[in-house]
Amino acid sequence: MKEKILQTLTSLREYACSKGVDAAFLYHEEDSYLMRFANSAISLNTNEHLIRLEITVYEDRRRASYEMITDLNKLDEMKQGVDIAAEMVKYAMPLNYQPSIPHIKENYADVQGFDPELGMMSGEEKLAYFNDATKDLETDKITLSGIFSSGINILAQISTKSEYTQYFQTSDAQVTIVLAHADLKWEVTAEQSAHKKDDLKPEELHAELSFLIDRYKNEPAQQVPVGSYDIVFGAAATAEMISFMNWIGFNGGLMKRGFSFLTEDHVGKKVFSEKFNLMDDPSRLETFPLTRDSMGMKREAFPLFVNGVFQKFTWYQDDADEFGEKPTGHNVPHKSLVLDAGEMDVNSLQDLVKMPKDKDILYIPFLHYMNIVNPSKGLVTASSRFGALLLKKDGSVVVPYNVRVTQSLLDIFGDKVAWMSKQQTVYNTSASYGARNPVAIVLPKFIRVNDLEISHSNSSY
Amino acid sequence: MHKQLKAHIDRLKAAGATYVDARWYPVEEANYLMMWNGNLKETTSSRESGLGVRVLYKNAWGFSASSDMSNLSTLFDKAFDNASVAAERVTFPVRLAEKDAIQASFKSPNQIDPFGVSLANKIDFLKSMDEKLNQPGVVQRASEMMFVRKQIVFLDSEGSEIEKNIVEVFPSIQVMGIDSTGETHSRKFSPDRLGVTRGWETLDMQLFNENAERIVRELNEVLVADPCPKEDRSVILLPGIMFLQTHETIGHALELDRILGYELAFAGGSFVTLNDFGKLRYGSEKLTARADATLVNSPGSFGYDDDGVPAQNNLLIDKGILVGAITGRQMVEEANAKAKRQIFDGSSGANRATAFYRVPIERMTNINIDPGEDGSLDDIVRNTEKGIILDGDKSWSIGSNREQFHFATEIGWLVDDGKVTKVVKNSTYKGETVKFYNSLSAVGDESTWVVHYVDNCGKGQPNQIMQLGHGVPVCRFDNVRIGE
Ligand SMILES: [Zn+2]
Repeated sequence: MKEKILQTLTSLREYACSKGVDAAFLYHEEDSYLMRFANSAISLNTNEHLIRLEITVYEDRRRASYEMITDLNKLDEMKQGVDIAAEMVKYAMPLNYQPSIPHIKENYADVQGFDPELGMMSGEEKLAYFNDATKDLETDKITLSGIFSSGINILAQISTKSEYTQYFQTSDAQVTIVLAHADLKWEVTAEQSAHKKDDLKPEELHAELSFLIDRYKNEPAQQVPVGSYDIVFGAAATAEMISFMNWIGFNGGLMKRGFSFLTEDHVGKKVFSEKFNLMDDPSRLETFPLTRDSMGMKREAFPLFVNGVFQKFTWYQDDADEFGEKPTGHNVPHKSLVLDAGEMDVNSLQDLVKMPKDKDILYIPFLHYMNIVNPSKGLVTASSRFGALLLKKDGSVVVPYNVRVTQSLLDIFGDKVAWMSKQQTVYNTSASYGARNPVAIVLPKFIRVNDLEISHSNSSY
Repeated sequence: MHKQLKAHIDRLKAAGATYVDARWYPVEEANYLMMWNGNLKETTSSRESGLGVRVLYKNAWGFSASSDMSNLSTLFDKAFDNASVAAERVTFPVRLAEKDAIQASFKSPNQIDPFGVSLANKIDFLKSMDEKLNQPGVVQRASEMMFVRKQIVFLDSEGSEIEKNIVEVFPSIQVMGIDSTGETHSRKFSPDRLGVTRGWETLDMQLFNENAERIVRELNEVLVADPCPKEDRSVILLPGIMFLQTHETIGHALELDRILGYELAFAGGSFVTLNDFGKLRYGSEKLTARADATLVNSPGSFGYDDDGVPAQNNLLIDKGILVGAITGRQMVEEANAKAKRQIFDGSSGANRATAFYRVPIERMTNINIDPGEDGSLDDIVRNTEKGIILDGDKSWSIGSNREQFHFATEIGWLVDDGKVTKVVKNSTYKGETVKFYNSLSAVGDESTWVVHYVDNCGKGQPNQIMQLGHGVPVCRFDNVRIGE
């Protein structure tokens, strides 16, 4: 398959060259499978096999793109795409900067993140995984929801600048299990991310879910008072906040356009807690890394925050071109973010419940529907979901209804950070919008942040 | 192609499937242009075609899709196989509400086909807008236009054969500025429904010019404004935010699949239970909401849904009482059976998929609020003691059961003793859905009612982005916390 893909790209390049057209080609192929559960049944079992081709044509400072969903047998249709983009570019308006055309300097293929066994898992195997992970946990009232999303993803590129190609192939799986009470409406979740089949461990999810269900079964939910709390965020909640930081934080283009809480003045300054060390590290296979960017640039470990000090912005090529910045190898569909572990030996929910506490602690595993209230301040808002717990100083556990947190990322990851877990976990943040793009963040299992405001507290679910 | 699809549908029926449908997109085209600070950043066209097959076998669904139509047998078989695996775990057998077999077609109304307009003309329009927006106070300006054309052929094993030809046009302009504290503020405009068609004629230069001037002026007012106070006030929501309030806390809350727990793994559930239909006082007597897919000229009006059910106009909330939901064929059967009473007479025709490679699910059509009897915006302001007028969606975050929400808007105008006193920045409001709608104290008349289009409603796994509309008047809600 790889040969046929690269041969097709080479043919397209030759065609563009023969027409005197400067062009870049991005090939994306996905074989996606999604088994979705609801009300303890499989509510949907679907697969898509899609090939997308994006053709970008350049003429001086003008640029135009043509995208198609196609298949490898339709070379003529793809060539027509080149003609259409070449026609469009004539009418495009020149940019006030020179856009860079991808220039790949050597043939490069990275299939380290590909495990055929994961990519080709059968429906029966996925169902067996779900059955193991939820064994004896479902009842008439406690029902199962969730997804087993898995697939194979291929990216391949060429441009008229050189005859060389880049090729990336990965396999991935994202598992979410939700157990919800039909009448009481509480819900708990456990999730897993996999880049190879061995990563799939249904017994781990089973252990987490049974612990949570026991808590929820035995403790009636309560409305907790609004006000200030010491909050322990779980990996899902932290990953969501880091993802937002990736958007309105260290993205250079958005900073230049005023959509960031970081400015050029922050470079080299302490912005967050000294416990905060965040890196874009393409050597971590768990993050489904891209080891070259689409400009052909080698991607290496890129520190973003060191002991809370902001290091540098990342740049998409187009933003770098426009603002006269040096490219940083970030013309990629996703980064490979890794947040360093901390010192606290609290690595499971059981550890967290057991640990001695100087005061009550609110545990928020998951933040639902986060949005940006004020990008310049890093102010975001979201509600808790999936098994929040109020861990009382006296060792007892209260189940709270969901609460809302409206806080600045600068505060959450600033000096209020009390500790981070010694162990890291992998949290899969892939969205299923548009083309498949598996992405995961490596981060500590828990982060405790003192003195954060809860602005709303539900009186029911 | 019709014949071949029919033959495969019949083949799977003969193999034991209880229902099969095929959605064939001979063509879906899009054209997107975006200019940012004078730079034409995006000049993109796209084209796709393909087939999605849905099979009901042994009470479970299977779906398969591909852009490669050279081997239809494999594609249909894959959908059948997927259903066979799903049939291993069935708790509530899938049944489909009755419908008539229909042979029909639908065409969305447009006067001037945007795909017939030259790229040069489109770029000229953007250039002209960009120049218009390039004013003092504006540090970032963006103008964009998106055109979509799709042809959809629907065939099912019950004898339906429907063809739809839909053209969508979504233009918008936006300006951003930075205040003296370094904070960014923005203001945007996208045209509401302008008449009975939405082709290239939507790009009405005079309308855009007037609104470009307005958003620049309002942005500059926000840039020098005081922050929104943190207190309780009446909020007067203009259609530019009322549409989103309706969308998030009536529309999504009343999708029957959410109510039945089908979105619990992702989007969330709903505070509404089956028990609530006919009983729950969702809002004050002034609140009447409906799902109206028969509204002329809106992305939420599409003739026939992807179950092949014709468009309808159904009440959701009647004078404050919950009476209806957004439904497809499967969910109404399940809801009636689970409630042990006939809540729904049949599908409301709201099962839609966003592309050939996605499966249809319950989606909003046009979720509208009926105009009321409290006069014009001026009348409502005159009758407000301590309030704030809000407009322009900036941020929205809603609880997983749609039970509570937090919104930020682009602009706010304080109202004291019946008069607008000043503009404020960083306006926000929050509330609990049922309490909020029960505090609805004024609903504007027809003069305040507009149909706002939405082009980015996300739902489902795999995720689907859908287009729809909201016809809403100006509404006032009392005792709402703002500024938090
Ligand atoms: Zn939506």
